[in-house]
Amino acid sequence: MPGDRRRGFRTAFRDWRSGRPFWGGLLLALGGAEVLFTMKASLKVVLHVGMQGVAGYLLPVVMLLCGLLTLVTPAQRLFYSLIGVLASLGTWLTSNLGGFLVGLLLGCLGSCLVFGWLPDQESRRERRRRRKQARAARSSAQPLEQRAGGPA
Amino acid sequence: MASSSDVTPSAGNTPEPDSRPHSGSAPQGADGTRRGRVRLRRAAVLAVPAALVTAGLAILTAQGALGVQFAISGMPFTVTATELDGTGFAQFGGLDNMAEDSPNAGDTGGQVLVVTSVIKDATLTKLCQSVDLGGTNLLITAGGGDTKVAASDLTTDSTLLSGDAAFNNIEIGNDAGTLDKAGPKGHGPKGVFSQQADTVHIKNLRQTNYATTAGVFKLPGLKMRFSDSGC
Repeated sequence: MPGDRRRGFRTAFRDWRSGRPFWGGLLLALGGAEVLFTMKASLKVVLHVGMQGVAGYLLPVVMLLCGLLTLVTPAQRLFYSLIGVLASLGTWLTSNLGGFLVGLLLGCLGSCLVFGWLPDQESRRERRRRRKQARAARSSAQPLEQRAGGPA
Repeated sequence: MASSSDVTPSAGNTPEPDSRPHSGSAPQGADGTRRGRVRLRRAAVLAVPAALVTAGLAILTAQGALGVQFAISGMPFTVTATELDGTGFAQFGGLDNMAEDSPNAGDTGGQVLVVTSVIKDATLTKLCQSVDLGGTNLLITAGGGDTKVAASDLTTDSTLLSGDAAFNNIEIGNDAGTLDKAGPKGHGPKGVFSQQADTVHIKNLRQTNYATTAGVFKLPGLKMRFSDSGC
């Protein structure tokens, strides 16, 4: 059945996504692509301008690579996010004010999301419930007993 | 604070090394309960300095302390200024190729005949740059106050260049390969008509850069905004 297969694909994609900072990496890569899109100057003129012109291409390419590599090897995400945010900030100077600000913001946001991502977190609902329980336990001033009865 | 209630290690908001054994491990999202998440406080550790640096860059640029570099092509890009003073000027014709399958190619076959102008050092008064983004224009204005915009190695391939120009020591009809007044970047291909001058002064400058502008700008009084009409 095509519907079944699609649902299988969807859950597989969701599981794959849950194991890596998906949105952060995607935004960082998109930011790099956006800056590159606004650049696309002909190579002849870039060589004309020299080293700084090359840097204008190098930084968005670094952003793009960091974003993609974050998705491929999420274990290295801290390194990628730091390099990504530095490259994003550098594009303000080298590449059309960071792709007219859009690519710079996308890159910074993506890097921050990658930086703040942690694997293996419990779901928000569960967390909220547990926090509420803990607060109730504290206010009723018998934390030990409550916690013993709390989530395993 | 809520952190005192977070007892189990996986619930920490700003955990340091406790998550390390899990990083990069296989996702446990199959049961739908435990999966990777963005912790806001942890993200803020990077977001706050990044925002500060961005603001600092913008302020420094607006004060004219930092030079920013532009390289734009394929989009119609207009530069206007009430006055341009430059030293080391060279100009020659050329043919510019667009990127393959560029949506801007139209009926030109991907090639535009352009005038390449190189100015080694230029100061511009009331600079206005606009990029047509399809529908709206992004306007960048600078140099309206006392301090003027400074640009070095301003290289433009223009389809239209207009203004009231005054040149000093102009040499017209040189071979573009022999130009020397605009520095190492002011060379053209051999056998092409060209001209060069020691200094140039242009009033009411208006350029439509179909192809490329590359150069380092210092933009005091920088303002960016979206507008319906260009410069």
